[in-house]
Amino acid sequence: MLNLFQLVLQIAVILVAARVVGFLFQKINQPQVMGEMVAGILLGPSLLGWVAPSMSAALFPPASLSYLNALSQVGLVVFMFVVGLALNPRELHEYGHAAVLTSHVSIVAPFCLGGVTALYLYPKLSDDSVTFTGFALFLGAAMSITAFPVLARILSERGLLHSRMGTLAIACAAVDDVTGWCILAYIVVLVRVTHAARPAWVTMAGSLVYVGLMVFVVRRFLPALERAHRQRGKLSDNIVALIVVLVLASALATEWLGIHLLFGAFLMGAIMPKSQEFTSYLLHKFESVTVVLLLPLFFAFTGLRTRIGVGGSGAIWRYSAIVIVVAITGKLGGSMLAARLAGTPWRDAASLGILMNTRGLMELVILNIGLDIGVISQTMFSIMVLMALVTTFMTTPLLEWIYPSLLLRAELEEIARKNVA
Amino acid sequence: MLLVGVPVLGLFGILEAGRSLAAPPSVSGDWTVEFDSAANCAGLARLRQPALTISQSGTEARITLNDGRATTLEASINESSLTAKSLTAAITGKAAQRVLEGKVELDGCGPVAFRAVRQAPAKKRGE
Repeated sequence: MLNLFQLVLQIAVILVAARVVGFLFQKINQPQVMGEMVAGILLGPSLLGWVAPSMSAALFPPASLSYLNALSQVGLVVFMFVVGLALNPRELHEYGHAAVLTSHVSIVAPFCLGGVTALYLYPKLSDDSVTFTGFALFLGAAMSITAFPVLARILSERGLLHSRMGTLAIACAAVDDVTGWCILAYIVVLVRVTHAARPAWVTMAGSLVYVGLMVFVVRRFLPALERAHRQRGKLSDNIVALIVVLVLASALATEWLGIHLLFGAFLMGAIMPKSQEFTSYLLHKFESVTVVLLLPLFFAFTGLRTRIGVGGSGAIWRYSAIVIVVAITGKLGGSMLAARLAGTPWRDAASLGILMNTRGLMELVILNIGLDIGVISQTMFSIMVLMALVTTFMTTPLLEWIYPSLLLRAELEEIARKNVA
Repeated sequence: MLLVGVPVLGLFGILEAGRSLAAPPSVSGDWTVEFDSAANCAGLARLRQPALTISQSGTEARITLNDGRATTLEASINESSLTAKSLTAAITGKAAQRVLEGKVELDGCGPVAFRAVRQAPAKKRGE
């Protein structure tokens, strides 16, 4: 039964922890979201459950976590809509060849290295209820993801968003996001299909029909929303409610098809009209509640499932080191080499590799899906969460090293001069 | 084309090579346990069915006894055996009908033979 007092107390504790740790991380030039992710881990068995087990058990009893999970999932649905909304295909066109090559290599290289790592880890960290194919594909997909929203925030905080390298990174991350989620949708179908209520062909054909309907039918009616916004400078509450209902309907459709709620929400955002004023208005409407209230709940729920260094043998640290090295080599190395081959200067190519290596929040989303569908074990989940934290944390200091602020300021001044000329 | 095509081909090779790998047997889930009828002691009397809940991560597992105190045992899985400080069992049967057969030492009891059957067998995932 729902214990409202406990749930409200949990939310309050989580929000305070998220804001405090987020603030401290900002002080060391890390994005706020990085601190919020760490706050979630600190509230789980990795710290609070370790140093104060009775307090942890009283505050987060296992029976109460389903409500926290439900709230965080609603937050994720809205967040994925926001991520889709922020994607703009035009950014890709501007950088054509370099963006397509870099983004594809930045997916394929870590994906393959993830597969090789799976050969080593499967006999140690999986069991015979999971096939090697499912395990390897999931590991590959989880290694190849880029956190588009975190990357955009890092670029924005460093004033890199409109630099040459910043726009290229955004374009690559956009392609990565779409490709990564398509691959993950396929893997989820593959994993779920053996024990789903409906046959595989229904899921496959249904998914194609659904995507077709969204792209060729629903999308044609969406400009009416943009027109309504242009006429009045804002949207009425009824129209905002209609957009929420559309997001939920799309999420429900993909869940019913056996893919996942989040894919529907993401696609709904991706097909929305992309005029600057309209997307900014919607982002402002949806982002604050999601980012301030609901995402910290998701981080806390993830943290409660993560057991870094608790009860694990020394081998776990060895596996963690391997996963982190492989993830960085594949993503950072792959993106950097591809960008260099596409003619990008070394400094920009290295910066691009560093940015593409940011996994952050999106990695946590994917890992939670993997744990929910049972394709990865608890230990593998914890190892991958650690990898997500390390790869996100290293982005800002590495970027400052490769692309110092002084150099960046000079480049931006040059761009401004060219624009004036 | 080369940068993407070759690795994709390599991935197919990896997936093919991985098919021959064997992962530890799955023992996660709730287990209904039958004890040797001759055994009779306080530790056994406290147990309620499902008497065991096992959570597994590869070759490591945590066994929780449904004895009102949620006693936990750290265990390791080695090919077809489950070993903890006070429990050893052979893992037999296919994933859908997995069985544990072995001996356990509980509070106030000597080693007691048991046979456990998984309540909700894990389904094959990822194919």
